[in-house]
Amino acid sequence: MSVLRPFTASDLFRFNNINLDLFTQTYATGFYLNYLSRWPDLCCAQTAPSGRMMGYILGKAEGNQQDWHGHITVLTVAPEYRRLGLASKLIALLERVSDATYRGFFVDLYVRCTNDVAIAMYEELGYSVYRRVREYYDSLGGTRGRDEEDAFDMRKPLSRDAGRRSVRPNGREMLVSRFEVS
Amino acid sequence: MERQIKPIYEALDIGSNKAAIVACNKLLKKHPKNELIKALKALALVRSQKVEESLVLCDEVLAAKPTDDGVLTALMHVLRGLGRYKDMVTMFEEAYKQQPTNEELAAQTFFANARILNWKAAQQVATRMHRQFQEDRYIYWGVISAILQANDSMTAPNMRTLLYKLAHRLVTSSPTPSYINADRFHLHLTILRELELFDEARTLLESDVGKSICSSSLACNELRRDIWRLQGLLKDEGAKAEMRITEQNDRNWLEFLSVLDATFSSLVSSAEPDEAAKTECTSQVAKTQELFAKLAEQDGQRDRSGLLALLELEKRARFHGISNDTDRLVDLMKRYFQEIGDKACCYEDLKPYLALEGEDATKWMSYLQSLTPSFTSTNDLRRLINSHKLLRQSLSTDDLTSSAESDRAALYTQQYLEGLKLGATLAPTELQPADDLAILAGNVFVSLWKISSDEKYLYNAAALLEFALTKSKQSFQTRLMLIRIYRLLGAPTVALEHYRFLQIKQVEHDTLSHSVLSRASTYSLAASGDLTFITECLEASQIYISNMQETGEYIARAFNGEKYSQIPEFIIFEDRLENSLQRDLVKIEHLRMRLTHEAISSDIIDMELIELKFVFERLHRDNRDFEILPDYQPRSSQKFNEQTLLFGKLEGSGWLRAYLKVYIRALQQGSDLDDTVEEKLLIGDRPKQSTPESKLTFKNRLRERTAEESNEVIVPSPSQKRTLDIFFKLTSDELVFVNYATALADWLEPYHDHARPPPSVVLAEAAKQTELKTGHPLKGVEIPPKNGNGSSNGSAKKDEETPLITEAPELVARYFDDMKTRFEAVKDSTSPSLTLHVATLIQEAFLLFVVETLRFKTPSVVKVHKLGALVQQFKPIRTNGLAVLREVSSTLIKRSERDATVEQRKLFVDACSPIIALNIDHDFVLGVAKKMTDARKKVTEGVAKGITRLCTSYN
Repeated sequence: MSVLRPFTASDLFRFNNINLDLFTQTYATGFYLNYLSRWPDLCCAQTAPSGRMMGYILGKAEGNQQDWHGHITVLTVAPEYRRLGLASKLIALLERVSDATYRGFFVDLYVRCTNDVAIAMYEELGYSVYRRVREYYDSLGGTRGRDEEDAFDMRKPLSRDAGRRSVRPNGREMLVSRFEVS
Repeated sequence: MERQIKPIYEALDIGSNKAAIVACNKLLKKHPKNELIKALKALALVRSQKVEESLVLCDEVLAAKPTDDGVLTALMHVLRGLGRYKDMVTMFEEAYKQQPTNEELAAQTFFANARILNWKAAQQVATRMHRQFQEDRYIYWGVISAILQANDSMTAPNMRTLLYKLAHRLVTSSPTPSYINADRFHLHLTILRELELFDEARTLLESDVGKSICSSSLACNELRRDIWRLQGLLKDEGAKAEMRITEQNDRNWLEFLSVLDATFSSLVSSAEPDEAAKTECTSQVAKTQELFAKLAEQDGQRDRSGLLALLELEKRARFHGISNDTDRLVDLMKRYFQEIGDKACCYEDLKPYLALEGEDATKWMSYLQSLTPSFTSTNDLRRLINSHKLLRQSLSTDDLTSSAESDRAALYTQQYLEGLKLGATLAPTELQPADDLAILAGNVFVSLWKISSDEKYLYNAAALLEFALTKSKQSFQTRLMLIRIYRLLGAPTVALEHYRFLQIKQVEHDTLSHSVLSRASTYSLAASGDLTFITECLEASQIYISNMQETGEYIARAFNGEKYSQIPEFIIFEDRLENSLQRDLVKIEHLRMRLTHEAISSDIIDMELIELKFVFERLHRDNRDFEILPDYQPRSSQKFNEQTLLFGKLEGSGWLRAYLKVYIRALQQGSDLDDTVEEKLLIGDRPKQSTPESKLTFKNRLRERTAEESNEVIVPSPSQKRTLDIFFKLTSDELVFVNYATALADWLEPYHDHARPPPSVVLAEAAKQTELKTGHPLKGVEIPPKNGNGSSNGSAKKDEETPLITEAPELVARYFDDMKTRFEAVKDSTSPSLTLHVATLIQEAFLLFVVETLRFKTPSVVKVHKLGALVQQFKPIRTNGLAVLREVSSTLIKRSERDATVEQRKLFVDACSPIIALNIDHDFVLGVAKKMTDARKKVTEGVAKGITRLCTSYN
């Protein structure tokens, strides 16, 4: 039960309950305005009936030819609204637009290799690891070594990729340097 | 040449402006006429704050009407740095005129107009562009320009319609249909909605391509829904929404609202529905109920839409008097709690339904009370927390006795400690599931403080919340509460520490800096050299500078990418930041602190005056976020935010205007810049007037006072009282200060006007200074030949008679004595906050006196203008002010010595016995006590020392 609507510039005045959370970055306003000035249909928010923001997704379309795809750049839900299935609805919308409007071959995203909860959720939604990107993130100073700095690039094919060429079964073993990815 | 210029660009890129200037100078020796080098030098100069020198070069290049891309780009940045956006328009217009086939120049001319929101000119440029370059998108640039001009608040209503019609004509003139892209389609629909051309809209929307766009564009679908509603097609929309819900599994709450609106459409359509309409509606309600019930069954805990929709349905049925089951609402609420009670959002979801009465209320409360607390799982814990929040929300004023509240505080605290066990193994970056119990207890302690005015409850709140932070370091809600509490307690540095932990960044400064910067001058130690809060003000204000420089760029990008739906949004965003209330509240606080820190000189006076006059013209937008404070106070009581405002008063636009007037008047009198001089010396554009044009002149508007600014007594009805308390924004001490300042300004105005040197003299002096600095004369200023009575030291004698010297008004003459009495009354209040409030206001009043009398310190001015009798009157006021301040300072020092003693800490710890008894460690509480008392000592002592320093400097 939430309102799904476009993310707008003025949401930056309202997103504190989401962004004060440790794991959500607040970027320079230019970051948000750049996304909105280019892919407004891949940026949307969920709000409670009261208007309070619950979560949002910011995405873009990028790549050449067979690599043309939708990308999830930011996906976040306020702590008090977790475990309600909001993230999956936001992702579903981004997939729908990537498929219908942009005609992309797949949707992809990066996730820290230690973020088991998120990885499990993405897998449930049909995403699989395509490759492992070394040292993509800064370390959090935890105890899981490499896994903390590395990212999984996870992908899900869209209708245009009928042959499912954008996914592969052994993605977790495919190591690439962070300089090889966009 | 290109090879030689490259190092200049490189130097500019890495920000070494000095190196860039050196490189430019070297090249200019060889190529003294080169426009690009000059433009780049102007850029390096403006970036090194050498405004006057940059101006000279910039004007030189502009006069040559450049067309070269590199020169234009460099100048564009120079002009932006100088705030000369109007000149940017002229520059590109000139270049475009010379090269009418240059598409890039055309676009830049368009953007330059867009930058200053001159949509009329922008639209004309777009038309020319379309004619020249034959691209469809330029039609749409014209379309949105017309719409934006129509939407401008200065546009008359009939003009608005005309402009929309023009936009419509433009859209239909396009050779390609609007639906080839969603943003053009969106724009087209916006026009049709405004002009109520619903048939045309429906044809578009019901076409296959229209449907397809709406299915993937949320923005277009929103417009579509709106258009349907405006046409009264509620039933039709409801049926569509039902299909989306049942067939596509859409759970967007907007769809549920459409179904609900359709259900009651037969009653809403007429003012007094007849029986037939009621019967029809009743059967509709039954059908909708069936639909929602099925969904609720199907979705279970996976999605709460169905359950909540049932509640909303019943609420509306009751409202229309067609509910047939008196138990249903509460039953549904119970069911909602049973199924969703273990989710954190349950409380928020149910909040709109809690205003129950009579039997309903009793049933609901007794249901909640009958629940047995359980701590076996986090789900149980969340359920318990929700039940507390729901119960508390419905407490009546009778339930809020101090003993009942104390019991609640104890219960929540004890359950919090119990609940912590469930999160014992969580990583330190995680939030504790029990956090909200501590937050609830914090709310109760604050409420107890409000009931009793006994500060010990705030100590309990602080200690408990500090403890909660040791368990849940990342709980920003806990921190935000602590920030409020520590400020109330007069421990601002501890509040600031918590604030900094939150790592507030970027736009968050605008919405959240109020947490520590509201009335921050009360706690500022700037007078004794500690610039903590001044720095904080400057950091928080960065976002406004970057907004002014960057947001316009993204508007241009949205044009280029044809994302028309975003353009109005970006403009609103930019405007909200540019005219942010918080921005200028911080500005005032900064000024108040600055005057205590820097020697008051004519430079400061002139600069601040010009800035404040700009601020005064703004129509302010309040972006401050208060919703972020966790609030679990009952409906019947004040909200946590209101309870914990410093001095119980929120600064709003009334407060800001009162302060702006005080300072603008004082600075204006202290300054030699009258309006004609300012006009000549001002660099950059004046802000667009965003306040509706007042018939009064600037001078009269400064003197005018609205009820909002003065605390004029309007006798409020009891129900109004609460809102009005917040509405009266100045504290009583601030009001006394404002009255003093007004009386002082009224008194001295004629003498300032008399003694101020005439504009010609001021301009001559400015020209001399500029020439000394830059080697060039000041542009546009003609210096009249000196006549007999003009002299360069600014004490030109006027022909008029000296105005009659009057006695100092009561309000001025008695201010310091009155405030001395007031200070005596508050000097021992438990929290030093009020004491400091009064002390810093006395200090401020004195500094304002310094500003107002600075001109008359020059003996020649007094002599030439025969103001000796006036100056005689300053002496006793000044001496008395200094004496009172010295006394205030020594009293504060004595107080500070008492603040951080063993006794004070013991007092704090003893007051916390309720939570210590529940097992919050005694030594931990002692640590909090030490932190708070040390901070109190620091601020009281610091303010005292600052006052002493000021007394010495202005003795």
